Amino acid sequence: MIYLIVCCDITNNQIAKRRKGKHTRTKKFVADAESLSEREVMSDLDRQIAQLKKCEPLKESEVKALCLKAMEILVEESNVQRVDAPVTICGDIHGQFYDMKELFRVGDDCPKTNYLFLGDFVDRGFYSVETFLLLLALKVRYPDRITLIRGNHESRQITQVYGFYDECLRKYGSVNVWRYCTDIFDYLSLSALIENKIFSVHGGLSPAISTLDQIRTIDRKQEVPHDGAMCDLLWSDPEDIVDGWGLSPRGAGYLFGGSVVNAFNHTNNIDYICRAHQLVMEGYKWMFNNQIVTVWSAPNYCYRCGNVAAILELDENLNKQFRVFDAAPQESRGTPAKKPAPDYFL
Amino acid sequence: MEIELDEKDLKAAGAEMLTDGRRGLRIHGWEIESIKRSILNSSSLQQWEERLQTSHLPEMVFGESSLVLKHVSSGVKIHFNAFDALTGWKQEPLPPVEVPAAAQWKFRSKPFQQVILDYDYTFTSPYCGSETIEMDSAKHVSVNWEDCEEQIDVVSLATKEPILFYDEVVLYEDELADNGVSLLTVKVRVMPNCWFLLLRFWLRVDGVLMRLRDTRVHCIFSDSANPVILRENCWREATFQALSVKGYPTDSASYSDPSIISQRLPVIMHKTQKLKVSGNL
Repeated sequence: MIYLIVCCDITNNQIAKRRKGKHTRTKKFVADAESLSEREVMSDLDRQIAQLKKCEPLKESEVKALCLKAMEILVEESNVQRVDAPVTICGDIHGQFYDMKELFRVGDDCPKTNYLFLGDFVDRGFYSVETFLLLLALKVRYPDRITLIRGNHESRQITQVYGFYDECLRKYGSVNVWRYCTDIFDYLSLSALIENKIFSVHGGLSPAISTLDQIRTIDRKQEVPHDGAMCDLLWSDPEDIVDGWGLSPRGAGYLFGGSVVNAFNHTNNIDYICRAHQLVMEGYKWMFNNQIVTVWSAPNYCYRCGNVAAILELDENLNKQFRVFDAAPQESRGTPAKKPAPDYFL
Repeated sequence: MEIELDEKDLKAAGAEMLTDGRRGLRIHGWEIESIKRSILNSSSLQQWEERLQTSHLPEMVFGESSLVLKHVSSGVKIHFNAFDALTGWKQEPLPPVEVPAAAQWKFRSKPFQQVILDYDYTFTSPYCGSETIEMDSAKHVSVNWEDCEEQIDVVSLATKEPILFYDEVVLYEDELADNGVSLLTVKVRVMPNCWFLLLRFWLRVDGVLMRLRDTRVHCIFSDSANPVILRENCWREATFQALSVKGYPTDSASYSDPSIISQRLPVIMHKTQKLKVSGNL
């Protein structure tokens, strides 16, 4: 823990320096040499994006630099990040890189399409590193054309159990990349508001939150806590069998019913809530009289569920169109299909 | 066929693979088939909820997947499916297991209207397979398991006979909302002299508890009318706290593969049974 605090301090200092530099630049006008270096940065980024699109991870030093740049952008974002329509909303990805490429084929490339990803980029799938870095590189390259908000898997604790930590260790031989990425997770916004009408969040609502302004006051730059408003936004689920609030039989984790959603939407003058977090066989699912929709974007989840995935396209008038898609075909995946290897189990 | 098989081994054992895209084989009067399908869609899930009289099912129910082993001449059929397993879960109402964060949550201010759900979200089931006898309706026969002294011959199973057919079928799985794993799978391997299977329920509630319920079934091929089938149940369970007392690691990442760590969990129930076919054959 001490390490993390130290690390964040350093990063904040670096950001402060960089931001100072940026201000000076705007005042002085951009010197030729600097615009050249900006261009170099962009072409570097373009090269990295092209590399990541081939599912080839970046060098550790490149990840470090990319995360620093991303931090500069993300630190400026609100806990309720404003997003303009048209926009395409995507749910959980979970390291299924080739299926995310399929998503971009179906929904068109960024920056041509404006994207909002609702978190859970990492864990479970084979390519959390490449998946998250590609999204992050796109964010740095086209900050106004892609919004990334935090899911419950964007956390140090969860990634140590469900795959991302081990994957970083395996692919880089050290956990530095995991540290850079999890430090960035702390800067991801908690929710988005599309044209003031559609509230988007990874998990759901919290009994500690009735207005969007209450979300705006959360100090989000921390590991996801085990309880409280920030935890609920990333973890809670809508539930048919409760009307108000339900407590999970695990003794932690809220479930919320139709009247809670109704009240929230009414108070905040929004049309509906768009969230992810739960597997839906059909890719998306409306609940409570179209007051909330779950969008799930990992087809054939964990490479065995056989479910379809969906993304929600909103046009400039907020007209909805769900695009449902299957997992990427086997031949477009880098590795051959995993055969069940006969084993002499006892 | 996903699994590459040595045609020579198959032929030598007098076995033939199932055709028409079916996975499995016929060997010594047995027909063994694995069926692997997608998870249930929303409308099927709803039907299952009604049939099982519950409003909670695992996140991933592979409701149309199964493993079936049929002894053609006797009509004995042993099979494994999610519905019967979940019926077992419904009949064993275990108290909910609280996760570590629950301690903190007790101090949270409660919302105005709060319902506390109390079903067994771990989907722990005593299920150890389903068995029927498929015969002409005129005959009254039944099958049941009886305790026995014999044990499954693990030594002979450890010999590396060629595996003619191997598969693993997931029956249901739940991520416990990222608080661990609940997984019911069945693995089968068929060798020239026998078949052997392992039905395993694996539960890990992060930071709290691990539970392993294994059912092993073994049948050595013979020419007798009724096959000899042995079944061994072994239940293991340990809390993370108990493991830490013994000096074992207590991070969840160390417990991702039950086959590696099963020995660390003490046995809480063990029995061996034999399949008995009764009635006027």
